[in-house]
Amino acid sequence: MRYMLSLLAALFMLAAPALAQDTSEDDGPLRIEITEGVIEPLPYAIPTFVADTAGASEWAEKITRVVASDLNGTGLFREIPAEAHIARISNFSSPVQFSDWKAINAQALITGSVRTEGSGRIVVSFRLYDVFAGQEMGQGLQLAGTEQGWRRIAHKVADQVYSRLTGEDPYFDSRVVFVSESGPKDAREKRLAIMDYDGTNVSYLTDSSSLVLAPRFSPQGDQVLYTSYESGFPRIYVLNVETVGQRVLESQDGTMSFAPRFAPDRQTVVYSLTRGGNTDLYSMQIGSGQSTRLTNAPSIETAPSFSPDGSQIVFESDRSGTPQLYIMPAGGGEAQRISFGQGRYGTPVWSPRGDLIAFTKQSKGRFHIGVMRTDGSEERLLTASFLDEGPTWAPNGRVIMFSRETQGAQGSTSLYSVDITGRNLKQVPTPSGASDPSWSPLQK
Amino acid sequence: MNTGQIISGAGHAGLIFWALFGGAFSDVPPPNEVTEVTAISADDYAALMAPEQSPEAVANVDTPEPPAAGEAPGMTSEADAVPETAQPEVTESSEPDAPPEVTEPDPPAQAEVSDEPPVMQPPQEDTAALVPERSPDTQPREAPRVAPEPVARPEPDVQIDDVDQQETAPDENAEPVEEDQEETAREEATTEIVTEADDPADAAPSRSLRPRTRPTRQAEAEPEPEAEPQPAAQEPQQTETAAPESPEVDENAVENALAEALGGSETQADSTPSGPPLTAGEKEGLRVAVQQCWNVGSLSSEALNTTVVVGVSMSEDGRPITASIEMLGSSGGSNSAAQQAFEAARRAIIRCGADGYKLPPEKYDQWRDIEMTFNPEKMRIK
Repeated sequence: MRYMLSLLAALFMLAAPALAQDTSEDDGPLRIEITEGVIEPLPYAIPTFVADTAGASEWAEKITRVVASDLNGTGLFREIPAEAHIARISNFSSPVQFSDWKAINAQALITGSVRTEGSGRIVVSFRLYDVFAGQEMGQGLQLAGTEQGWRRIAHKVADQVYSRLTGEDPYFDSRVVFVSESGPKDAREKRLAIMDYDGTNVSYLTDSSSLVLAPRFSPQGDQVLYTSYESGFPRIYVLNVETVGQRVLESQDGTMSFAPRFAPDRQTVVYSLTRGGNTDLYSMQIGSGQSTRLTNAPSIETAPSFSPDGSQIVFESDRSGTPQLYIMPAGGGEAQRISFGQGRYGTPVWSPRGDLIAFTKQSKGRFHIGVMRTDGSEERLLTASFLDEGPTWAPNGRVIMFSRETQGAQGSTSLYSVDITGRNLKQVPTPSGASDPSWSPLQK
Repeated sequence: MNTGQIISGAGHAGLIFWALFGGAFSDVPPPNEVTEVTAISADDYAALMAPEQSPEAVANVDTPEPPAAGEAPGMTSEADAVPETAQPEVTESSEPDAPPEVTEPDPPAQAEVSDEPPVMQPPQEDTAALVPERSPDTQPREAPRVAPEPVARPEPDVQIDDVDQQETAPDENAEPVEEDQEETAREEATTEIVTEADDPADAAPSRSLRPRTRPTRQAEAEPEPEAEPQPAAQEPQQTETAAPESPEVDENAVENALAEALGGSETQADSTPSGPPLTAGEKEGLRVAVQQCWNVGSLSSEALNTTVVVGVSMSEDGRPITASIEMLGSSGGSNSAAQQAFEAARRAIIRCGADGYKLPPEKYDQWRDIEMTFNPEKMRIK
């Protein structure tokens, strides 16, 4: 025992000088490395925008609230309530007293003004400040639109703020097409609906006379591919979002076509076609209607999704015995399996950034939404529930929306979104049941 | 007497004997504890356990039936009229607000004080270099604020003062003494300046260390003395240590003191900080203080892959000088990602340094300029 104590003492004496004094006596300034920070929502303040004209106060209030809602909804920001504000912004052009905002720990400040013009136009101006740096971030921006489109103006303001603060591409000014569901599970009525990304402005694209499935936006957001049982068999339709006009895209007797998705060039559609009990992947040129077979295997190949550059396709196949994910060249060819975890993988979707693939995984009686690298590495499961499926990416590749179904005969389906970090899982409000979401690109 | 003692002794002996062995003759057994056990039949047991079985999942937890969907509003979905994101209108209209920021509280006094010291030189009042001790100030004019503090600090000055005192005795050699006075006066001035910013009392230790920085200033002042023959002769002594001059013991002491003060300047021109480096604990304290405010929660995934090196200059009270914060370099991401990472780092430095980082003031030269590397490797999405 005594020997041990003396040994420890000797070690301590040897180590003490090193602990007490940093041995790196480099010339020049003191250098330190910081590797661990904190992860918490960034506190910001957004005083109600100033109404520059008499009739603008209502718009100012509504637009301010939508901007704040967008930012708060990301889980990345925390709004400091107006009651805590020390300073009041009464003039958009007057200088900001940063000390007042520092005092309440507002790290970002958004100020804005709204004015109405004749013919129902609204003009919104805003500025974003880095409070602690005491300077403006970027330049002030002014947006104009119609009163009917006030939400889009608000979303665009929020997009600008979001991008400047996070460095991510924006996604608030986008829409989601989905399958609206109503009625019990055994007699459920489904129809296509479209809404803003936050669940507002819902409108319906089809009626409920026939079963519809899996709508998919075109790269420009002006068209939607979907599968309908209108003819009694599943057929692929293409629908113009503006005119709501639709037409059959693929119709061969004795076949079933489904799971369509646009190529990034918008000229090509890839889909699954079942003929003689065998399901393979095909591609079709929309203009000519000419189709090409991409796979030729006795197994089921489905759920294709293009990479952002259009050079590859990720899809689901059970050729190994269980549904797994594979990648192959866009023109067909040898496929490479990328999923090797336990369980069944399906509905892969390539991220708009190109770095990740989102998928549905069934394992041990539960469903998950997960992401993995395009080589199958770094698989991360973001959710777990009775039934999660059908992921779709936000235009910036930072958020995933999917549908979740609750258990039981009265179980309902609804839409959820989750950050790719796995945080900020939340339900997207819809007027009724909803499934199969497809996120549009950012609106122009 | 004997009787009493005998009785007492017998009594105590008996008492002790009883205490030791009295209990041994007791044959009363200790009581046994009895626990009643009841038998239960298998049926009863099953009956008891039945309710504990996991409740069957009640599949039908009434979920509110979704409200009947209303009629499709005419299938017509008019896309919102695209709000003209009037890019042409992009308002530079917003002229960057003239930052009304109250410019940082001026600590300008320092500059003035530091410059003035030369005025001090005239005091050929042959006075003892000891001025610091008694002198409410050798230089009352220049820094009336400074003056009071130095007086309060006897200890640090004591060393120098001792030497000077001895020299004062030989007032005859006024020349060397004068030179000493000049240097000591400057030292005091610097230390005092520091103390002004903080607490005068606490600055005492810092004075003794600060002299090291002086060298640079003295180097500037040297040209003046060069004109005079005597100072020029002394300089060589300072540079090559006091050893060469052996004759005068007292002078050696003074020279040694000067050599200590000037030692740093000889070897290093300007930039290299002098004095003892920060200990690992002090650096760790700074690191922890900054990382508490380094919020990467709102950073993009690309910014989370970007390491940035940020340079910052500190004021003597431990607060970062906002305008001095700059990105010195980055790696791992695009320029925009680096900018995001830098802004997060800047916020961290400013926020947690608002009240001043706890850094040893006597080592100010060591942390006057800091390079912080913000490496988010551990903060990335896992």
